[in-house]
Parts: sequence; C-alpha cells; structure tokens
Amino acid sequence: MRDWKAIAKASGIEIDSVEPLEALEAAFRPLVKDLAPGVEPATELRLEEDAE
Amino acid sequence: MTIREAADALRARRVSAVELAAAANARISRLNSKLNAFITVTAEQAREEARQADAELAAGRDRGPLHGIPVAVKDLFLTRGVRTTCGSKVYEDFVPAIDAAVVERLRAAGAVMFGKLNMHELAYGITSANPHFGPVRNPWNAEHSPGGSSGGSGAAVAAQMVYAAMGSDTGGSIRIPAAFCGVVGLKPTYGRVSRYGALPLAYSLDHMGPLARTVRDAAMVLNAIAGYDRRDPTSSRHPAVDYIPDDGCSIRRLRIGFPENFYFDHLDPGVESSVRGVFARAQSLGGLVKPVRVPDVAALNAVGRVIQLAEASAVAEPHLECREKFGPDVLALLDQGRLLPATDYINAQRLRRKLSREFDQLWSEVDCLIAPTTPITAPRVGEKTVRLGGRDEDVRLATTRLVRGINVLGLPALSIPCGLASNGLPIGIQIIGPAWEEALILKIGAALEDGGVGIPACPAAEVL
Repeated sequence: MRDWKAIAKASGIEIDSVEPLEALEAAFRPLVKDLAPGVEPATELRLEEDAE
Repeated sequence: MTIREAADALRARRVSAVELAAAANARISRLNSKLNAFITVTAEQAREEARQADAELAAGRDRGPLHGIPVAVKDLFLTRGVRTTCGSKVYEDFVPAIDAAVVERLRAAGAVMFGKLNMHELAYGITSANPHFGPVRNPWNAEHSPGGSSGGSGAAVAAQMVYAAMGSDTGGSIRIPAAFCGVVGLKPTYGRVSRYGALPLAYSLDHMGPLARTVRDAAMVLNAIAGYDRRDPTSSRHPAVDYIPDDGCSIRRLRIGFPENFYFDHLDPGVESSVRGVFARAQSLGGLVKPVRVPDVAALNAVGRVIQLAEASAVAEPHLECREKFGPDVLALLDQGRLLPATDYINAQRLRRKLSREFDQLWSEVDCLIAPTTPITAPRVGEKTVRLGGRDEDVRLATTRLVRGINVLGLPALSIPCGLASNGLPIGIQIIGPAWEEALILKIGAALEDGGVGIPACPAAEVL
C-alpha cells in the first residue's frame, strides 16, 4: 500500500484525507495486473482530416 | 403542465409565452428562497424573450415545441453576458462573451431562459451543498438533499419553476438529482450533445443532458440540443434522429435486462421493492424480462474514479494556489488527484477500453438494462453515512455506486421516477441502452410512464 500522505508531503501538498486514494489502491491496482500489452488507452487524438 | 401541453396551449392561444414566463417567475420568487435552486435569475431577460416568442408565433414563425417554454441551465454552461460561476469562487465574477452550444441550441429552439442553476461546487460532488452559494434543498422535503451535482436543475424541475433544465453528468450528476427529486433525467451517449462552452469537470466523462417532468419532455429537449458540433473535439457525426416517442409506443417483445449481479446488492428495502415492481409492470406491458449477468461494474467504478480524479485536477491545476477559493470536500479531491501517477491514468483508460468491449456483448442478449438509479432515497442535508445491507456506507459512494460506471462506458441512460418510499421521497430507475440508442430508451421510458410507472407531482409544485 502506498503511503499517500508521505507522497503528498513530498509533493508539497498537505492533505488530511487519503480517501478515495486508499480505497482506489485496493480496488484499482489488482485490475491493472491482468491488462494485456495490446490493450490501448481509450483516449485518442483524432486528426481533423480523419474526423471530417 | 408538460412541455407538450404548454406548447399546445400556446398554439391554441389559450396562453401566451409572456403568461408562462410570469407563472414561472412567480414560482421562482415564491420558492427559491427556500430551495436555493438558482444562483442567478434572469427574469427581466426572460420576459423580453417571452414577448419575442409571442411576436414570432403571431407572425407565423414557429420554432417548435420549446418555443416560448421556460427553461434554465446549470451554472456551468456559458451564457453570454450572464455570470457563470460553476458554483465556485474561482468563477464568481466570470461573465462569458459567448453562449455554450447547448444554450445556443435552446435559444434557437425558442426556449425562454430563466437563468443559472445552483450545483455542487465545480460539479465535483453529489450533495449540491454549495459552500459559496448555499445548499440546494429537495422540494419533496427541504431537510433532504436534492442530489447532485445538478441539484438546482432537479429541484427547479420538480418544483415546476421551469419545464426543463440542463444538467451535466460525469459520475451520475444528472441521474442522481433526477432520482432524488422525482423527475426524468437523461444522460445521452458521449458525443451526442456538444460539450462546447460547458465548464469541464472531467473531459472524457462529462455528458450534457436534460432534466424534465416527463420522458417526452426530455426527448423534446434532446431533439433541440443533439447533433454534431465541430467545436467539441469529441462530438459525434452519428446522425441525430427524432427522439420523441410516439403516442401509444410499446415495449412488447423488447428484451428488458434484469441484472442478476451488482445492481441489487445493498439496496434500501423500499428502493428494491419499488424497482422490482417496475419489472413486473414491464412484463405486464409485454416486455420480455430477461435475467442477465453484467460485466464487472465495481471495476468500472474504480476506473471512473481514477479518470475523474486525474482529469478534474488537471482542469483545476491553475487555480489550486488560491486554496481558500475551494470548499474542503472539493479541495481534498483536487489535491488527491494531483498525486496520481500518470501510469494510473493511462492504465485506467486502457481498462476502460477492455471493459467497454466486455459490456458491448451484453447488447446481443438484451435491448436495454433496467436498474435502480440509486440504492437510497435522498439523504438528509449533511448526512455522511447510510446503513445498507447491514453495513455503513459513505453517502457519496452509495449514491454514485450504480451510475458512475455508465459514464466510463459513455452509454445513454435515462432515469425515471418509479415510486415513493415510506419516507415520502422519490425512487428512480435507470434504463441503460447501447450507444446512440437514446430513441430506444426514451421509448421504453415513455411506455413505462404511459403504463403507470411514475409518481404524483411534487407537493411543492402545488403552492401556487
């Protein structure tokens, strides 16, 4: 588990709460382990000539 | 009165747009001090627009069903010459020089604009307890939240201050206030309605859509605002159609998906019973209710939260040095979003593609999915936790649990009221469909509405 408060402090940010980051650590991290390299992100740049 | 009834009355000269505007203004004057639904009321401008609408109709220029109809927009849509705050101190003096695309289209359709609706600060939350402009109150019970972030939109429509309102939905922010306030709320497919001129919360999750009194009213608004806009890089060229369901439309032989997993876990018993009743009604109307297993919605929710944290903090980054301008709940989220590594954001977008493909397969089995919009009715203002299924749950997580995943998928979803709980507060169901199938889910919603699924008008609407 990452120490989000320490990460925040090192980034110059004082935070009282680490929710939702801590909850996401548990829910999100395991999902990433099963990702095949060929799965590309859903963000995409559509160049204008392609989009037209 | 619905939009259609008002539109018919206008054309039959039983009422004028000026009279409709005067009635809306009277309701706003009477109720806004209690509900705090509006941040800015543009009553004088509305009167002038109504006069013009009457003059046009008299001259034979008819702009369609919204012509002369009082509406309002969430205060994140830019409005030329009218302050646009996004519910934030950051924008408290911001007077845009342009209209958002949605506002342009509503004006072109002849709608009469009554102003800017209160919301959760920066649309980043679901209570609409705005620290800068005051909390929005639920018209069904002012001690309860209207939901959010489009809380002012839900409250204004439920209290019949306006016939329809525009909201935005990044993790449920149209459907939640629709459910809590007992009105209809539509989140269209991502790309269906232009985001141009809407202050963003999270670019890849933000959807713009209407809240209205009935399904057909919501469809009339969608007809006016849908369509390609080159100024929004994610706007789609997928053709817009006529979204208004026919009179007598039917769900006969449509495959209505009943989710066997996730959506019925940890519900308030009153909500569960009411939503199960909708399936019985759908079956009696000829729908084929089909149990289905849905892909991993909890994973979709986690993906959505990572994307939202990162994108929202990226949007707010230039303003974060002025920390006193933010409410504590929003600042905490914005700070945490800055800590996420870029790899998490990229991997969330990769998971989004994977989960989206998995979800697509569902549509070979069913035509739509029906599920509760929220597991609870509107919590009290300031309530932090709820007890569901023998466990305490954060109100914010409980409220978004059943809606957030659909934003990750970009699919259309329509929330309609389906009953009142024993505490007198509304319950909503959401009808989720394949991409670009707004007409289908609106037809299903209208058929259910015609078939008796719904609730009485909000008592607050009866005060005048």
